Amino acid sequence: MRPGRSRIWHDECLQLGMQQASLNSEYNSTPWSPGAAAAARLRVSDLSHAFVSADGVSTKIFDRLNFHVAHGEIMSIVGRSGAGKTTLFNLISGLLSPQHGSVTVGPRDDGTSGRIAYMLQKDLLLPWRSVLQNALLGIELHRNVRPEDVERAKDMLARYGLSGVANAHPHALSGGMRQRVALTRTLLVDPTLVLLDEPFSALDYETRLMLEDDVMALRDSFGTSIVLVTHDIEEAIAMSDRVVVLGGRPACIEQDIPIELTLAEHRNAVTSREAPEFRQYHARIWAALRAPVAHQGRGVAS
Amino acid sequence: MSNALAVEGVGVRRQRAVKLPSAASMIRAGLIVLVCIGFLALWQLAANRQWLNGQLFGSPLGIYNAAYSGLTQGTLVSDTLITLYETLAGLAIGSLLGTGLGLLLWFLPAVSGVAEGFSILLNSIPKIALGPLIIIWFGSGAGSKIWLAAISTFAVAMISSTAAAREIDRDLLNLFRSFKAERSMIFRKLILPSALPWIFSTLRVNIGFALIGSVVGEYIASQAGLGHEVFVAGSLFDLNTVWLGVIILTLMATLLTFVVQLIEERIVSWKPKR
Repeated sequence: MRPGRSRIWHDECLQLGMQQASLNSEYNSTPWSPGAAAAARLRVSDLSHAFVSADGVSTKIFDRLNFHVAHGEIMSIVGRSGAGKTTLFNLISGLLSPQHGSVTVGPRDDGTSGRIAYMLQKDLLLPWRSVLQNALLGIELHRNVRPEDVERAKDMLARYGLSGVANAHPHALSGGMRQRVALTRTLLVDPTLVLLDEPFSALDYETRLMLEDDVMALRDSFGTSIVLVTHDIEEAIAMSDRVVVLGGRPACIEQDIPIELTLAEHRNAVTSREAPEFRQYHARIWAALRAPVAHQGRGVAS
Repeated sequence: MSNALAVEGVGVRRQRAVKLPSAASMIRAGLIVLVCIGFLALWQLAANRQWLNGQLFGSPLGIYNAAYSGLTQGTLVSDTLITLYETLAGLAIGSLLGTGLGLLLWFLPAVSGVAEGFSILLNSIPKIALGPLIIIWFGSGAGSKIWLAAISTFAVAMISSTAAAREIDRDLLNLFRSFKAERSMIFRKLILPSALPWIFSTLRVNIGFALIGSVVGEYIASQAGLGHEVFVAGSLFDLNTVWLGVIILTLMATLLTFVVQLIEERIVSWKPKR
């Protein structure tokens, strides 16, 4: 750690505390309130992490990164390839242990501990399991599957139009159907926070819009908080309450943009894209992504 | 396992369609039979007309006579059963030990590399060269043939299963870890099922190695078995009995491969057909 240099880096980054997040859109189904700050679903505090290459060179990916995600909030993270988005998700989900700082998952409304579910880029369905068995995998790895879990899984599969293929194996499904099974598997563990790492990038446009609606409905129905990593600026604006631009080396939050859209009807993937402010947000985020990389160091994060 | 059963219990059943052979596959099979009959007829004709030396090449009729004589005396069935038993026992021991050890090494990544190096070393030894040692240690009975067949299959099974466990998709491992799965759970629910196609393809390859082990063991020292019969007949220039032994060994290998394929189709039924 070199404090002097670290300070310069941080001066170029936004430090996202409670005040920053309070710029949040009032379009949320659960509008931002001071009380919500205390009930943050995720709090990332002073997070620092570095990778050491084979030749012993340390590449700092994050240096004292701070942000939080509120109850029922959808936050998108955009950034160039190698900005550290996936590494950030790995740190939040516990796949990597941060070298410094902390990741705190907020409790549920009833005071019990919250839970993170991570949906990776690929659907990662197990080919030897049926759709229903795949959907129940997260529960099965955690505890014994109960009859009520099976009923819940069947209900959720039915909601996503998959009840007809519950007993089929994944190779018989289309890409969109597979991704919905993966989403079902993610949601059945009853998470308070869902991490989505470009989950729709390989899908056709129509399927993508449907799944975007499904994710937004999650927040509306259950108050689930969602953090989405995407390369698709339109997707980020259409779905999110906040879009965060991650960049630089070590990576920091360069911009935190609350999304406020004027909508004639209920917000969904299509109506969001028709909002008059949509293009302005797009231009702003695009400009942020094209801006010269600040505080450039060595190496590239995955 | 109980969890998986619980899920099965709610009605996840595999639907199996009755598959009839296609016209193309029936024509192909018919052509193979025709070619074989033609070849045998030509061979017999050549032996009758003495275009071929019957002492050196035998003949289909001679093979038939040898089979008839072996069946009436009862030696053909008993020799076949002895070789089958030695091959199956050796295949089971070698494959189980090799596969089990190879998969369990997933728990010990630090040891895995060293153990895999040893198994590659063991695999590079010409196992047949160990034959005399095995006969001295285990005698000239079925035991030595079983161990020779087991040694012939062990290393291949171990190398293959170690690789199968190591080559698991990292994203799948991350998925399991993101669900906070314990290592024993990852092994049971991910490593083991993922390795099944590898295990079966290795088992098919190992049928041949196990047969070589048991038959060569019978060549070296034995009182019974197809290898023994072939060896004795060869030294007596009884080429028809040699051919008979070779044909039965080929049929045995084909039958065992077919049985393994059937079991594989049942257990790895989720694998998409090509």
